Amino acid sequence: MSNIQTQKDSKLFTFIDNNAIQSERITAPRYSYWASVFRVFFRKKINIVLLIVFVLIIAGSFIIPIFAPYAPYENVTDAKTYNLSPAAAMSYFGGFSFKWIFGTGGQGNSIFYGIVSSARTSLMLAVICAAINMTIGIILGAVWGYSKKFDAVMLVVYNIIANVPYILLISVLVYIIGSGFWPFVFALTVTGWLGIAYFFRTQVLIIRDREYSLASRCLGTPIPRMISKNILPFLTSVIVTLLATELPHYISMEVFLSYIGVGLSADVPSLGRMIQEAQSAFITYPWEFWPPVAIASAITIILYVLGQNLADASDPRTHM
Amino acid sequence: MKKYMLKRILFSIFSLLVVVATVMLLVYTMINRNVIFQMDDTWNKKSSNDRTIYEYTMYSKYGYLSYVDYTSFLKSKYEQLYGSEYTKNADYKADKDAVQDEAHYLENSTVQAFIAENEAKGYEVKYLTPDRSKSGKVKNGGNGYLIAIHEESVFLRLWNYVTHFFTIETTRDVTDANLTERYIRWEKDPYSGFYALVGSGTTHKYLLYFDGRFPFIHQNFIHMSLGTSYTRYRGQEITDVINRPAGDQLKARLQYPAQVGTDTYIDSAIDFHTLSYNPNPRTRTEETQFPDQYTTYSYRYSGLSMLENSFVIGLIATLIAYLIGLPLGILMARHKDGLADKIGNMYIIFIMAVPSLAYIFLFATIGTSLFNLPYKFANAEVKILAYVLPTISLALPSIGSLMKWMRRYMIDQMNADYVKFARAEGLSEKEIFSKHISANAMIYLVHGIPGNILGCLTGAIITESVYSVPGVGNLLTRAINGHDNGIIVACTVFYTSLSIISVILGDLLLAKYDPRISLSSSKGGGR
Repeated sequence: MSNIQTQKDSKLFTFIDNNAIQSERITAPRYSYWASVFRVFFRKKINIVLLIVFVLIIAGSFIIPIFAPYAPYENVTDAKTYNLSPAAAMSYFGGFSFKWIFGTGGQGNSIFYGIVSSARTSLMLAVICAAINMTIGIILGAVWGYSKKFDAVMLVVYNIIANVPYILLISVLVYIIGSGFWPFVFALTVTGWLGIAYFFRTQVLIIRDREYSLASRCLGTPIPRMISKNILPFLTSVIVTLLATELPHYISMEVFLSYIGVGLSADVPSLGRMIQEAQSAFITYPWEFWPPVAIASAITIILYVLGQNLADASDPRTHM
Repeated sequence: MKKYMLKRILFSIFSLLVVVATVMLLVYTMINRNVIFQMDDTWNKKSSNDRTIYEYTMYSKYGYLSYVDYTSFLKSKYEQLYGSEYTKNADYKADKDAVQDEAHYLENSTVQAFIAENEAKGYEVKYLTPDRSKSGKVKNGGNGYLIAIHEESVFLRLWNYVTHFFTIETTRDVTDANLTERYIRWEKDPYSGFYALVGSGTTHKYLLYFDGRFPFIHQNFIHMSLGTSYTRYRGQEITDVINRPAGDQLKARLQYPAQVGTDTYIDSAIDFHTLSYNPNPRTRTEETQFPDQYTTYSYRYSGLSMLENSFVIGLIATLIAYLIGLPLGILMARHKDGLADKIGNMYIIFIMAVPSLAYIFLFATIGTSLFNLPYKFANAEVKILAYVLPTISLALPSIGSLMKWMRRYMIDQMNADYVKFARAEGLSEKEIFSKHISANAMIYLVHGIPGNILGCLTGAIITESVYSVPGVGNLLTRAINGHDNGIIVACTVFYTSLSIISVILGDLLLAKYDPRISLSSSKGGGR
């Protein structure tokens, strides 16, 4: 007993200095927002499966065209190659080949290679348009919601432009500036951000006058810091939800516009154009019609579901 | 409230004008006009000055500019003097050949008159010098031309368009000095047996009449003009194009106005209620048929017009969507995370994510192969069956979106205080959901109802083209592909007005449905 008593004084304990940095540390489990988001996201098995499929589609659509570029007119001189079913195409071109896995189209073109190149166009279009519209929409929407002067001006602009049917606007723009890839991006983005900005303005408006924002403002926090630290973090899940609907939206939009004849021009391979060209014969040559439809649907469904689940995961309330 | 509505309506008219002006500016000034010649064989065949002249005539046909040429000026001048044989006149020949001489054409008095007259009107006179080869011979298509063109400014174009939007008939419409009697009075209408308002001096004879056809009261007093089609429906009024029934002529046993009371009958589809004034003298047969100068008529057709086709399909689809979508949304919210909710969510994801084109075709395949329903509208043997697939295709996405929002708003409302109170009072779950929560959730959906109903008038682009329904949905897209600027502007006005009216009606309905909502910003409810 006495032995222990002596040890306690000399060896068992050591003195620690009063450290300023250490005293500031909060003793709570470490929490990283994005790590938690992905932990919750990957908890669902379906997300992993969809993500793998999606990565395969992206890899396929970007890598395959490098080795096997799509040549729509390679067999145009040989009328026997037109509209061949997969089995007929393979026997005509000699044996099994991935190139003829979906048969040939109206000009002897490989449907499979066409789909691959078109999927790349659609994905690029969706990502570029979503990036442009979301960036402009979110920045302007945040300012729009925050500044009352800007709000008054923008509401008039919005009320006028929102009255024009979207489809009319895009059609007229494509009609005017042409239908290459970049003009098409321009047509989809020139007013596309307005809806996002308006949606975002309403969200910002709700949070702007919350008590904690009011307190921040009273303490003299500058506006950029208010927007970036007080408001935007609160809206992360809203932004991801928006992204989940925006990305598939542009793919559907391209399909729709190409179908009605104001889409991308003939020299840009696109899913919409393939569907539009095959739709009149979708009963006689189903292999020309259903594969592009299926790929377009697969991409949009995957993007939509992944986006929704990511949005759920980015809501901090699910991180418990 | 009245002041608020007035302000809203004025602002709406202002924004409509801005939209129309913008579209006119885009369509008439910013589009590369040459695209209309891309596929034109006639243009390819023509060369030199002939091609330039052809371009101007086409531009004037497409509504880009007004165009007058010297030849038609000569024609009107000499036809008056010498009748239809004017081409043999020596003066005419001299005047006509004057423009082929680029050195002296300005000395000709008729040329001077042409230039003076058109410059006075504000036209720009252009002289195309004869295109000669080195030997001095005129090349093929290289004749000299004298023309005058005038390009309207967008504001003038807008002004002309707006001022011709509504026309009201008066007794001074007919300028003929021989017409002595000018009146509007009630007369007995021999074709329906009722009294009708009949005019003399007005453009139409029957201004207000009743008959057995829907909507039973018809009028020719006020005409609305959305403009004329340039190419697709050559020069026809767009309101006529979308309102004219597309079926066969509807024949009946009729009598000409002057033969009423006799026993001469004809078997014809003429609609005598559309009689309008014809300034040309009556022919001998017309004198026996008509008592006055009102001799121009149109025919009656059976079937539905383009607008009616679209509206019928759209309206039934909207009704189906509300009748199915709302109860399903309530069901999903009630069994949140249950089987119904999961299946419903899968359907919503499918409809939201998959391009509409894909599921419409999928549905068309299922409908035609399993249920043997007609696929193309025109091929249907039983006409009513042709409406089934388009209607259902149109209802599918609306059902999905209504389910989604109804479920969302129901779930948001489920923890509200009034729900807890209703439970505490001992109301059954069924009653709480079907009466209290859904009534509050509907507040958010009420606003869209007028828009959904009026939206049927614009037609459905994809559905109509997949099933080849003769509707208005493809009017705009076809006009854009055919460079028909008249229809593009008309569609803009039509679509924009509908969307403006929808929003205003939606606001009014919302304020009616939920008395807590006041539209005008004054506190204490609407006054």
